Amino acid sequence: MFIRVEVAIQPEWVDPQAQAFLRKTELALPEIRKLIRWARVLDVTNIQIDAPREQLIPSLVQLFWDPVLSWLFTGDLAPGASGNKGSMVDLFEAAPFRSGCFWGIERRLRPGITDNVARSTLEAFEIMLGRKLSHGQISSGSLVVIEGPKLTEEHLSAIASQVICNDLIETWTLWTMDELRRNDRFHPDQIKWQLPKSPSRWDDRVETFDLDALKIEELVNLSQKRLWALQEPEMKAIREYFHTAQQTKNRAEKGLGIATDVEMEMLAQTWSEHCKHKLFNAKIQYRETGDWEGKGGDIPEEVDRLFKQTISGTTQKIKRPWLLSVFSDNAGIVKFDDEHSVCIKVETHNSPSALDPYGGALTGIVGVNRDILGCGRGARPIFNTDVFCVATPDYSGPIPDRLLHPRRILEGVRRGVEHGGNKSGIPTVNGALVFDDRYLGKPLIYCGTGGILPLMIQGEPSHEKKILPGDLIYMVGGRIGKDGIHGATVSSLAMDAQMPGSVVQLGDPITQKRMSDFLIEARDQGLYRTLTDNGAGGLSSSVGEMALISGGARMDVSLAPTKVPGLKPFELAVSESQERMTVAVPPENQKQFEALALARSVEATVIGEFDKSGFLEVQFKGKTVAYMSLEFLHGGVPQIEMKAKWSGPLIQVKSQNEDFRTQAPEVWLKMMARPNIASKEWLIRQYDHEVQASSVIKPVHVVGSGTANVRSGPNDAAVVRPKNDTWLGLAVGCGIQPRYSDFDPYVMAQASVDEAVRNVLCVGAEYGKDEHVFSLIDNFCWPDPQEDPIKAGALVRACYGMRDAALALQTPLISGKDSMKNDYRGKLNGKPHTISVPPTLLMTAMARVADIRMTRSSDVKAEGDRLYLLGPCEFGLLGSELEVSRRELGKPCFSQRDLRLPHANWKVARQVYSWIGGAIGEKQPLLRSAHDVSEGGLLVALAECLMARGFGARIELPRIAEEDLWAFCFGEGFHSFVVSASLENYRELEEEWMTLKLPFHPLGSAQAFSAGNEGKIDIKWSQGQCTQSTLALWNAWNKTEYWE
Amino acid sequence: MSDIRKARALVISGDGINCENETAQAFRVAGFETDIRHINDLMSEHLSTDQLSSTYQAVGLPGGFSFGDDLSSGKIFALKLLYGLKWDFGMFAERGGVVIGICNGFQAMIRMGVFGKTVSITQNESGKFINTWVKLTPSPSKCVWLKGIGTLELPIRHGEGRILFSSSSQKETLIKMEQKGMLCLRYDGNPNGSSERLAGICDPTGRIFGLMPHPEAFLRWTAHPEWTTHPSRAGSPGQGLTLFENALKEVMGSK
Repeated sequence: MFIRVEVAIQPEWVDPQAQAFLRKTELALPEIRKLIRWARVLDVTNIQIDAPREQLIPSLVQLFWDPVLSWLFTGDLAPGASGNKGSMVDLFEAAPFRSGCFWGIERRLRPGITDNVARSTLEAFEIMLGRKLSHGQISSGSLVVIEGPKLTEEHLSAIASQVICNDLIETWTLWTMDELRRNDRFHPDQIKWQLPKSPSRWDDRVETFDLDALKIEELVNLSQKRLWALQEPEMKAIREYFHTAQQTKNRAEKGLGIATDVEMEMLAQTWSEHCKHKLFNAKIQYRETGDWEGKGGDIPEEVDRLFKQTISGTTQKIKRPWLLSVFSDNAGIVKFDDEHSVCIKVETHNSPSALDPYGGALTGIVGVNRDILGCGRGARPIFNTDVFCVATPDYSGPIPDRLLHPRRILEGVRRGVEHGGNKSGIPTVNGALVFDDRYLGKPLIYCGTGGILPLMIQGEPSHEKKILPGDLIYMVGGRIGKDGIHGATVSSLAMDAQMPGSVVQLGDPITQKRMSDFLIEARDQGLYRTLTDNGAGGLSSSVGEMALISGGARMDVSLAPTKVPGLKPFELAVSESQERMTVAVPPENQKQFEALALARSVEATVIGEFDKSGFLEVQFKGKTVAYMSLEFLHGGVPQIEMKAKWSGPLIQVKSQNEDFRTQAPEVWLKMMARPNIASKEWLIRQYDHEVQASSVIKPVHVVGSGTANVRSGPNDAAVVRPKNDTWLGLAVGCGIQPRYSDFDPYVMAQASVDEAVRNVLCVGAEYGKDEHVFSLIDNFCWPDPQEDPIKAGALVRACYGMRDAALALQTPLISGKDSMKNDYRGKLNGKPHTISVPPTLLMTAMARVADIRMTRSSDVKAEGDRLYLLGPCEFGLLGSELEVSRRELGKPCFSQRDLRLPHANWKVARQVYSWIGGAIGEKQPLLRSAHDVSEGGLLVALAECLMARGFGARIELPRIAEEDLWAFCFGEGFHSFVVSASLENYRELEEEWMTLKLPFHPLGSAQAFSAGNEGKIDIKWSQGQCTQSTLALWNAWNKTEYWE
Repeated sequence: MSDIRKARALVISGDGINCENETAQAFRVAGFETDIRHINDLMSEHLSTDQLSSTYQAVGLPGGFSFGDDLSSGKIFALKLLYGLKWDFGMFAERGGVVIGICNGFQAMIRMGVFGKTVSITQNESGKFINTWVKLTPSPSKCVWLKGIGTLELPIRHGEGRILFSSSSQKETLIKMEQKGMLCLRYDGNPNGSSERLAGICDPTGRIFGLMPHPEAFLRWTAHPEWTTHPSRAGSPGQGLTLFENALKEVMGSK
């Protein structure tokens, strides 16, 4: 029978969904918001289930009706559960406006888009009716009811498409007041129309391509038309492969002739920039021209594979006994203690997030979680990190075609993390928000996950993947759908008007959570040999990669369960549909493996077996549709050649001296409120950062928690305790400094490494000895370096900057990822328009903590505590928040001297870091707080340490500050920390620093405030002094209303 | 010593529950022998209330996002408990057992009707998920889990923690529940808009208890957001552990 249910919150209760809708409308369409007097949001479900009415109606009422809270509108099926009149009229009458003017906007998912609520609803009916409902059809949506006499249809369609729906994944219908009043929409014919429609049959069509018959331009055109993102030399290599006689003979035996679409799609996915990192493996000619600071370093003129030269080569040079698996698996694996190892991976999910920020971020998170699940023989995720680079939320410039306003991007990714992270039960412990209006062209969405796994599983090292010929190929978890086709190739293209919506997917965290629980259980029972994640490129990539271990594989994609029938063989092979893993199961474990999957409500289907044929064979209903040499599939991609050059800073900046004493207090406040610096607590509190009960150092420190007067400040990095039976901890932090890219990407990369390292040192990571587990993860997000030698030059300089920093600090890189086409090429007001993101490198540091009881937060703890600036003061104003803020106004930056870029001093830094990290000296436990000097410079750092307690301070700047007060107080750069020590033992610290010759400057001491006398931070130097109130600084930083 | 057997606790997992490990850890540290069991296994074994009572003295329904909070938090999990396990927690308590539902487990207990038909739980007034630490004060009640506990601090991590009572009978319901000692735990502030600032409710016996805050997340002092202010206490246990220790005392006493 067909049922439509509308669930309304009873009028006496606040409707939080409606409140959220009004808030969002206020931000997006303030003028229209003024016309709305009242709104409610109803949940809508359309149902078709074959069951007798007398069974179905009671189940329906039990499932949807909460007598305390809600009314059900069902037409006339459940009169007892609705209001007086049993229809929408009840709601109208409850609105505060008599004879109001009502409208309804109904939102529903487009066909083929994952509908998680529908999946759960069907399961609920199965529980209540006690049987499987394999033919049941359900769709979920919502109905926003709005009252406002002055609203027009145009207003409502603006609300629908700019506030309620993302047109790519959702559609909407407008209901008039009269239609809402009537019950036509509850008629079976109307409901039927709303239910998912299934294409009726298999589609076994395989297209073939006679590549030999095509001219070069035609090959290139074909690649473009099909979204393969294969370039000319690659298309030529593929043509050559299919041409060779040996292959032709092999193929004839399998009943194959010319290239099939399955093969071409497999090659396109496997050879995509996303999967093969062709630019990082390119041969690059690098040239430096012009005259600029830093010219003539030791970057060679010909770079053969940046990856080898600057990433894997760097780690090779820094041999460490605790490095278990680097750059070969889904994640880097390092030893944690004698029983466990830990692993980490950071991914980007930029293109999908640009189109649908919610789905993009959600799938980004659950996707990188699967990298951890599929790492080695399977790890358990223990933390997430999220870094988002977006344009500022108050961006008021024009929005080019197909791009979304940054506020929608931010709200979407926030909700994506809420659903992807929180629902998976993985704490989001660390992250950053970076603002630059060039991220309007493409937001950068970095999602990272760390995991833990036993060192040995069933007597074998867990970080090694092993597969034997004869092992069965299982597809486990979600089903294959039409979603996510061409994800890997599309992410290797610029964002333009043609970008297809099919790359967008919605994740299903609960299906993944079930799969994840099941896999860990199966791992511990030794039921499978190894596994990998189904991400970009779908089965073709996962089976293709695993086949390298055994030496070959054969699978029949028609055996794989699908969300909707009618998928073509190539779609089955390359669809990225989420929540799937590919698992190698020894035949003797088949029964047990399947039984456990069944008991955990997880679908596991055998689709083929591994062999040692040297080929990847794909069949559809027993017929071979692809037969690819593994050697060619994985090793046949031709090396790209690329030209690179760097000619110095891309922008010129002017400076002008301003009176520090009078101007600095105001500048200080402005800096605290800069989006890059201001509090992110509004966001952090919407992420579950404490599930798994492992939290030690949280993203923010607080004072007065649980009271009305609670105040907070930022912490530098997170510390978690992955195991209950040891005091060992794990610190994770990040560094990201894209603003330096405009001046010198070499410095940008070095600053990013330095910031990541300092952040984890602040909270208590071990550093400085060979046995200290301290690792780095790199994530490059670049504008297309192939189209512009300067962008390629920026890439080369950044890679070498990172390499030199990692070598100087002796911190190995263990995992990384790059995304190389972060450009928008579309139209603005009908004219071609291009936006390229600034070259952005995210460095993540993951390091071990010897004892969580010795970790640190960044807040100054008590009155009288002595404050220090520890480390060499390598500050500069170029690229600083102060300089950028002045540039935004078109005005010169404040400075007493010429502006300069900060430069690293690794020799001294290594000394300082070794001391903080516990390798030299012994007085580190006397540090009561530590905070790095980064965005906003010294004064911002000081305020961040003091404001949670409302402390003031008397600060005396050291003599060197007077060379340029602006640069010393607001400059940014390398190596320095604000630390504090108690009055009782600060002398011991100073003595040790002097003995070890560590650079430090005493700054003064913290002052408590007495009642009615708020804390003030006085800044003194030989020629003068200025002051600012701690409360004012906190208020500026807190900035809640800006975000929401 | 009449009985030297250890008390046993059952922690239920599956379908998106995600706090089973730390909840089991809380029971273990308090002194229970603890099993984490998948709800599907319990269902396929047809474990009855009788068998439950003879094997376990405590049951924990942990936090998480069972069924993704679809159709309201804990709803479908509650149906699975009702239809699939058919346990009578009242009978389990009568025989000396104790039950705790935390966050999503508490939401499921409310939806099952453990605390009556006139109480419900819904989205936070702000419409937002919130993870923050709160101060809590137990009200005078029969709750065995809260015995002897003064104010305490615990984290909340939920999007649907606002406890509401049927508007038509709110007054009478509250008086009745107050008299029966069911309104046992209140926030000092009101982070989610709950009626009466309620954070937790128990049944009239005081043995079946549900709360939105997470006691299992505060087993060690270093979980507290302000612990670095008092580093000398870093090795101490957290306040959340006391609840589980109370449960142990209770079941050992009634054996």
